[in-house]
Amino acid sequence: MKILVFIQIRDDKVEENTLGILNKIKTSIQGVEIIGALLGKDLKDRWIQELGLHGVQQVVTATAPELEVFLSATYTKAMMKIINNVNPRFVVAAGTVYGEDLIPRLAVRSNTSCAQRFVDFTVEGDGLHFHTPVRDDQAMKVTQVVGDIIFATSRPGAFFVDENPTGTAPNVTNVSVTFDDADRLVKHVEIKKAERTVNLKDAKVIVAAGRGVAGKENFQIIRELADLLGGQIGATRACTDVHWVEETYEIGQTGQSVSPDLYIAAGISGAPQHMSGVKAKTLIVINKDEGAPIINYADYAIIGDMHTILPILKEKLK
Amino acid sequence: MKIIVFIQQIVSTQVKLQGVDYFDASRVSDDDLVINPTGKNAIEGALKLKDSQGAEVTAVCVRGIKPNKALKEAIAMGCSNAIEITDEAFYTDDPYLLAKIYAKALEKIGEYDLILLGVDEQSTSSYAAPAMLAEMLNVPSVLTAEEMEMIDSGFRVGHVLEGGKKIVEVPQKALISCSDSQYFIPRYTTMRGILAAKKAVIPIWSAADLGLETSKVNVDAASLKQISLSNIVIEKETFLINEGEPEEMVDKLLAKLKEDEVKLGA
Ligand SMILES: Cc1cc2nc3c(=O)[nH]c(=O)nc-3n(C[C@H](O)[C@H](O)[C@H](O)COP(=O)(O)OP(=O)(O)OC[C@H]3O[C@@H](n4cnc5c(N)ncnc54)[C@H](O)[C@@H]3O)c2cc1C
Repeated sequence: MKILVFIQIRDDKVEENTLGILNKIKTSIQGVEIIGALLGKDLKDRWIQELGLHGVQQVVTATAPELEVFLSATYTKAMMKIINNVNPRFVVAAGTVYGEDLIPRLAVRSNTSCAQRFVDFTVEGDGLHFHTPVRDDQAMKVTQVVGDIIFATSRPGAFFVDENPTGTAPNVTNVSVTFDDADRLVKHVEIKKAERTVNLKDAKVIVAAGRGVAGKENFQIIRELADLLGGQIGATRACTDVHWVEETYEIGQTGQSVSPDLYIAAGISGAPQHMSGVKAKTLIVINKDEGAPIINYADYAIIGDMHTILPILKEKLK
Repeated sequence: MKIIVFIQQIVSTQVKLQGVDYFDASRVSDDDLVINPTGKNAIEGALKLKDSQGAEVTAVCVRGIKPNKALKEAIAMGCSNAIEITDEAFYTDDPYLLAKIYAKALEKIGEYDLILLGVDEQSTSSYAAPAMLAEMLNVPSVLTAEEMEMIDSGFRVGHVLEGGKKIVEVPQKALISCSDSQYFIPRYTTMRGILAAKKAVIPIWSAADLGLETSKVNVDAASLKQISLSNIVIEKETFLINEGEPEEMVDKLLAKLKEDEVKLGA
């Protein structure tokens, strides 16, 4: 099976969900030809070597000043050129913001649909079955894309990166692509990069708060509890987006991934984009809503007002 | 300015699954039927523009068991009018077909400036419909918006991005998908809105009204086929404390943690 993987670069490296997909493909499909589509302004040989190591046999590049940052129109156009050139059976991207933007557009241009946010796939005949958690992760839906070409995105955090990759240098080919004014209707202004000043990866205890914290000043009690337990604080994007707490504390798909022994989640609903970054041995939840999806993941849950519960918890722990 | 907001009606994820047949309409009550949460965020985005610039906001609902209920709520929030698009033949679990129906609806609506949608839809976990629609219409688009601001040339939009946020500018005739950010937190319905909703007569358009051959949008036309749908059984058993005074609750938690030998420190 010929598979085209949309390669995403972040922080000057191949992004880890993309490496995760490569690992998943290598270990679950036999007789594959893995082709990486690498787009950008200046492409580094280091990235190409890394892709080879992780099993990519051929890298097809497209370079242009317009490809410096992802924009739907330019990336869709360049990817279509690569697709027409490579003629793959399966086109896949990690379901990052960019991946989820790109794949459906490529599907439409190819007159077909796409599977999204899969956490697993299996080979069935000459097709693939995709497993996607739906309804806030209450149910698993298995789907198939019929037709000559299959499009899909994976869910971030779904696959592990191969720690000991043994691949060799890939072949590199290039496609040329040009753009016109119609491709420049959406203008890039800037990327506001979140400053990562605190690394939460190794934290053994995290006390995290969500929108239920209801204001910047209420993070005080979260910090106090974290200090008391010798841990770190964490937050959902709902809190970092409005600067109730520094962006570095964002946990989830677009923030940091954490794997503490203990995660205390107060006023957090449990959106899949947040939970995909949390792998805790023990999860304690404080939420006023018993129906909140996060309760499904909890080992212990108090249904109540965090503003009353947390101060009591702090006093008792002292 | 004419704004079209596409919403969907879903069975609230607060309703827990007790089997795979939760799409069975007879098992859900009216209260369980809600606007898909980010669809409501999109309505809020439109109403903010209505408040600040003056705009006609039309809510359109294609997917759901009782779309009329969702649309009445949209009007009660402040939308100017609403259109229900229903046809027994529609298969809207495939975002490609859903986007096709949206595109046809826009053709019939005729003039519009801005299209807003929610980022995702929870019963399929699909993010695809907005991108697919933008591609079909060939309009400039921004997905996963967290905030938007009107500028001379159109809108400046901040959207979700791994490791930060990205700012882009789009023309006024554009498609934007809205996320569950603070900026898009939906407002409550008002008394005035509820009265307007009561009086509103919401037209229903069928596939034929849209000039759509049902064979192009029915289950056989789907290229995304469902193989199965099943419960996810989480092995974890939650120790749930949902009764008692706050202090008792905390005591109960701490006692149980001690019993289970859970270490509370780093
Ligand atoms: C592409 C994309 C990527 C994203 N990436 C991330 C990510 O990496 N990380 C992330 O966190 N989010 C991410 N999000 C946002 C995500 O979808 C949710 O919007 C967000 O996680 C919700 O945060 P929350 O749980 O704090 O807020 P809400 O969903 O609003 O939940 C608040 C919870 O607090 C409870 N509550 C309210 N008041 C109280 C009280 N007094 N006491 C107790 N409980 C109370 C409520 O019952 C509710 O359950 C992303 C979104 C998109 C579209």
